[in-house]
Amino acid sequence: MAKGDTVGEFEFLVLLAVLRLAGDAYGMRVRREIAERTARDVTIGAVYATLDRLEEKGLVTGKLSDPTPERGGRAKRSFQLTGAGVDAVNRARRESESMLQGLAFPLPGGSR
Amino acid sequence: MKTYPVPDPPAILRALLLACAGDGHGELIAGDLHEEFLYLCEERGDGVGRRWYASQVVRSLPELLRLRIRSGDLTQLLAVLASVAAPLLLLDRLWCFVYSHIPLKDGLDRAAGLLAVNMAVLCIASAISGALARTARRAATLSLVSAMGVAVALWASVGAAPAWYIAGALLAAPASSLAGYKKWRTQ
Repeated sequence: MAKGDTVGEFEFLVLLAVLRLAGDAYGMRVRREIAERTARDVTIGAVYATLDRLEEKGLVTGKLSDPTPERGGRAKRSFQLTGAGVDAVNRARRESESMLQGLAFPLPGGSR
Repeated sequence: MKTYPVPDPPAILRALLLACAGDGHGELIAGDLHEEFLYLCEERGDGVGRRWYASQVVRSLPELLRLRIRSGDLTQLLAVLASVAAPLLLLDRLWCFVYSHIPLKDGLDRAAGLLAVNMAVLCIASAISGALARTARRAATLSLVSAMGVAVALWASVGAAPAWYIAGALLAAPASSLAGYKKWRTQ
C-alpha cells in the first residue's frame, strides 16, 4: 500500500465530516461538524490544510460555487469524496475495528 | 423598525489572513470566516464574533503559511526577489571590474550610462515578474517584492549610487511590474 493511501487521524475526521455533510461540505461547515461532534477546538486553517492534502492524495474533490453576500461577496468551495476517498474511509474503519477488537472500554488506568 | 448595521470582521485581521493565506485559499477562508462571524454576531453579540474571528485567524496562521509554502506561492515571491536583485548585483560586479581597470576610478560613483543600463535591466526583470501575476492583488504583491529586490541589490552593491538613481530604481521596479501585469492581462 502506498504512503498516500493511508489517512491520519485528523484526515479521517475530515473525510467523515465531508461524508456526513453530503454535498455541502465546505471549510467552515467541516470545521463546525468536527467541533460539535468531537468537542475539539478546530481552526479553519487546520481544516483547509487537511482538505488541501486530501485533495492532493486524490481522496476528495472540490467544486467552486458563486459568491454570496453572506460570505462578503466571496465564493465557497464544496468538497466531496472520490472513489479513492471512500476506499480510504472503509479501510481506516476496518483497521480501527480490527485493532479495537477484544479490548474492553473504557480502558482502565486512564487519568479520568 | 430600527435596523442595525451588519458588522464587518476586523479589517486588520482580514488583511493579515489574506496576506498569509495568499489569493487562492485566502478568499475562500475569508468567506467562511465571514459567514460564521455574522452568525456569531447575530446569536451571541459583536464582541464574541470579533474575539472568535481573531482567535481563528491568529491560530490558523502557522497552518496557512505551511499551506502557502506547499502551494509554491512563497517560492514564487522569493524567485521574483532574486530575479530582480541578482542581475543588479551581477551588473554591480561587472562595473566594479570595469572600474578596476581605469586608474583612480575604483570606488567612485557609477557613471550615468552604467546606471541607465542597471535601470533598463531592473525594468525588464520587474516587468517579467509582474507578468506572472494572475490577479490585481497578486500584481501589487509582486510589485512590492520587485521594489524589495531593488532595495536588497542597492544595499549589497559595492559601488555608490546617487540619490536620484536610488529613488528612480525604487519607483521604476514596482511601476514596471504593474505595467508587465497590465500588458499580460490585456493580451
